[in-house]
Amino acid sequence: MTAPDGAAGAGTAAMTTETPWFEARGVGKQFGGVVALDGIDLTFRAGEIVGLIGDNGSGKSTFVKIASGVHQPGRGSIAIAGKQVRFRTAADARRAGIETVHQDLGLVDSMSIVRNFFLGAEVRKGPFLNLRHMRRETVKMLDEIGLGNLRDLGQDVSRLSGGERQAISIGRAVAFEKKMLILDEPTSALSIAETDKVFEFIRRAKERGLAVVCVMHNLAQVRDVADRFVVFWHGKKVADLVNAGQSERELAQYILEGKLVEMGIEQSELDTGTLRKLAES
Amino acid sequence: MTADRREPVKAAAIATGSTPGGPAAPVPSGHGTAPTSRLGGGQLIFRLIRQREAGIVGVGALLFIIFSVLSHGDFDSLENWGGISSGAAELGLVTVGVSLLMICGEFDLSVGANFSFAALVMATMIQDHYPALEALLVDLAIGAGIGLLNGLVTVFLNIPSFITTLGTFFLWTGVTLIVTGGETVTILPPAPLMLSVLGGTLTGQIRTEVLWWLGIAAVAGLVLHRTVTGNWFYAVGGKRSAAVEAGVPVTRTRILAFMICGVLAAFAGAVQLGHLGSMSASFGTTYQLEAIAAAVVGGTALMGGRGSMLGAVVGTVILEMLDSGLILSGVSPYWYESVVGVIVILAVAMYTGLGRLTRGGE
Repeated sequence: MTAPDGAAGAGTAAMTTETPWFEARGVGKQFGGVVALDGIDLTFRAGEIVGLIGDNGSGKSTFVKIASGVHQPGRGSIAIAGKQVRFRTAADARRAGIETVHQDLGLVDSMSIVRNFFLGAEVRKGPFLNLRHMRRETVKMLDEIGLGNLRDLGQDVSRLSGGERQAISIGRAVAFEKKMLILDEPTSALSIAETDKVFEFIRRAKERGLAVVCVMHNLAQVRDVADRFVVFWHGKKVADLVNAGQSERELAQYILEGKLVEMGIEQSELDTGTLRKLAES
Repeated sequence: MTADRREPVKAAAIATGSTPGGPAAPVPSGHGTAPTSRLGGGQLIFRLIRQREAGIVGVGALLFIIFSVLSHGDFDSLENWGGISSGAAELGLVTVGVSLLMICGEFDLSVGANFSFAALVMATMIQDHYPALEALLVDLAIGAGIGLLNGLVTVFLNIPSFITTLGTFFLWTGVTLIVTGGETVTILPPAPLMLSVLGGTLTGQIRTEVLWWLGIAAVAGLVLHRTVTGNWFYAVGGKRSAAVEAGVPVTRTRILAFMICGVLAAFAGAVQLGHLGSMSASFGTTYQLEAIAAAVVGGTALMGGRGSMLGAVVGTVILEMLDSGLILSGVSPYWYESVVGVIVILAVAMYTGLGRLTRGGE
């Protein structure tokens, strides 16, 4: 990575007047009596990387599951390119152009790179798989995303490193011309060097015009890659801000702020000691 | 990396074609250009070892040599291979289905009961002068139905298929005994031509069932390795959650695998009926475990996702070779089960070891 100054990319988030590609309006979700999401208004634009951050239980995963069609919103609606949609299954969301890379990456370890790449979107020639075409396309895409060294495409995915596996998942989304890519903790299992590479892949996806949503715990890392931060707390969106080089501490404060509102504490009453206690609570 | 010169991004400017030459042309990073040769020598060997069947073909060849020597030439005689191949054909047809189902991540312990039940219905129909083709179709339909039931119960009641099919094994064995009273049904001459087509003598020592077995295994191999459906079997067995996420129709694929397995078990029963001209509730009872053993020896992963039809065929041949080779080498046939047990364990140990070797540890 060559962006040691945290301000890289600051303020460049796409702020156009065009219709956002993805728009959630007042999305809410309850599980039993528990409110998991409450009135979320949120937009994602093409060519933008959004870091979705928040504590455990803040509603990030629930939101991701709604956006990827796994759950249905209890209230509110979702619009794609200005048109209201209703995803009943994950396949619906995929068809609409939303690819979600879950933490377990959705790759089949015992299958080859090529077969994983085209899983669920196999190319046929008559009744048979067009393996030659699939292999050629995979090579092309891996070259583009910067994984051109993975020449032995017949090898099982189980033999790849975590970063390479992540790259294949991202590459798959780009190759099939998806419009939005949701990455759930894309770097949680990776070394620092691999994380940098994955960020490179994410930026390439952005350059290709995808809206990219990264759900992340690691605030230091999310600062390196996101154009915009969205902060969730207890099922509510508590902040939505352009990456202007905010420090980790500032971001942590946004995450905590939701907690403060909840507990009726004024921001001004806040000192470091209280913050730490809150963070630990 | 171009991170330090990022340009404002236009919304909805979705790049289609290839990126190089685009507004933010990415500089190829170092690792994109490194290797020149596609496959080094070492990699080639790895690739060979990675073919899980390579090892087991070697084991088969070794057994062949050992038995040929020990039996002073009786083992590799044409007569003996006539016997081995027809025994292998009947078990092998079951193994093809069981392997395919195991690749898809499921078990079928009911194949032996299915085998006898479907073939007994077929035998009874032929005895009652129904057209033989009709009887065969009923046999296959029963197999498909039993497979469908196994699939539906497993998928919709969310029961491990090991348990489902353990249950249906007892169920269909019981039904068969109730219906036949444990009697053997024998087809009196003149037997319809259909039975010779299924399991008659083709030429010399070669019987028709061998052609059915190898032909069906070849077709199954083609389906498994070269079609979308086969690809889905591997994906569903390899990692079901990934298959779901990729939009594979997982439920349909699983049920289809159960049905194919059921049809092949019933077809194996029909073939044996053709061969022997009679059928009894007890004929298929050892097949479920032998078929799983043959599949495992042939490299099918117990938890799904790995395996091949070549392996299913070779695994079956090895089991049948043991059966006849032990006898011809002067060893008591009672050793057969014990030896099979040891071979199964050794085979799994070998595959696990190979997997570790080729993946560089786990």
